[in-house]
Amino acid sequence: MNELKSNEHLIYETDHCQLIQDDHSETFYVQLKGDAIAFKFCQLIALKRKLQAVDIIKLLASDSPDVELIHMPHCDRFFVFTVQEILELKALLEGGFTMLELNSMIHKTLVRPLA
Amino acid sequence: MKDILRRHQVLKDEIVDILNKQIKIEAQSSAAYLAMAAWCDINGYDNSAEFFFKQSDEERAHQLKIFHYLTNMECSAVSPTVGESQHEFSTLRSVFEQALEMEISVSESIHDVVRKCREVGDIATEEFMRWFVQEQIEEEFVARRTLELFDVLGEDKVGLGMVEERVLDVEYEG
Repeated sequence: MNELKSNEHLIYETDHCQLIQDDHSETFYVQLKGDAIAFKFCQLIALKRKLQAVDIIKLLASDSPDVELIHMPHCDRFFVFTVQEILELKALLEGGFTMLELNSMIHKTLVRPLA
Repeated sequence: MKDILRRHQVLKDEIVDILNKQIKIEAQSSAAYLAMAAWCDINGYDNSAEFFFKQSDEERAHQLKIFHYLTNMECSAVSPTVGESQHEFSTLRSVFEQALEMEISVSESIHDVVRKCREVGDIATEEFMRWFVQEQIEEEFVARRTLELFDVLGEDKVGLGMVEERVLDVEYEG
């Protein structure tokens, strides 16, 4: 992983993936497979929902190879993820969103109050 | 570190999900009313057909109201798929019975949304849903009163004719 700039924050990481927030552009970066893919917030939500919708049990039980095709329209790319990668990405986004909620709580309690 | 989550995600996931579910319910009932209107029209009950066409439009308006709320809050609004509607009915009365059952079901799902808002502390959405709660009081009243016309006027040809005369005049004045 490259060193983070002052406006970039590591939100959460798993063994092979990272979620980074860039304050300047209000963009999130998912580092995976040696790539940094940029997401606006709503696109990140869309990815989270797509991953949540993947039925791992069904994937393992099917006769076809245990991979899932995920389309990311905002960057016009298709990704082929193995079960292990899907599980890791799910963990990345669950952990990431928990950290973002924690940050929200900190802002609500400490940063935002007017008085 | 900026709080991008709060800036862009006004509603919690559970609220987005239950509102999308409500959008689907409203779409389904709009389609069901359309089918009822078609049956009435084909069977010569013109005023009842008009009543159900109007109901169908109202349900569609409800659907859009929630849809716009979600998009205004920068949340994903899902354009719903709608299942088959019932197109065959035995009598005019059975159509209105079905309409009342549907309104009761919609009211219950609206109340579920309000309960979920209270559970997660979403005061803004609860306030937004207040209009729907009031609307359902009116919708149920109209459906119930219309059905009562059959008891009062009877179901022979003369009675049905009188129901037809009055069906467009039933209004909630609460």
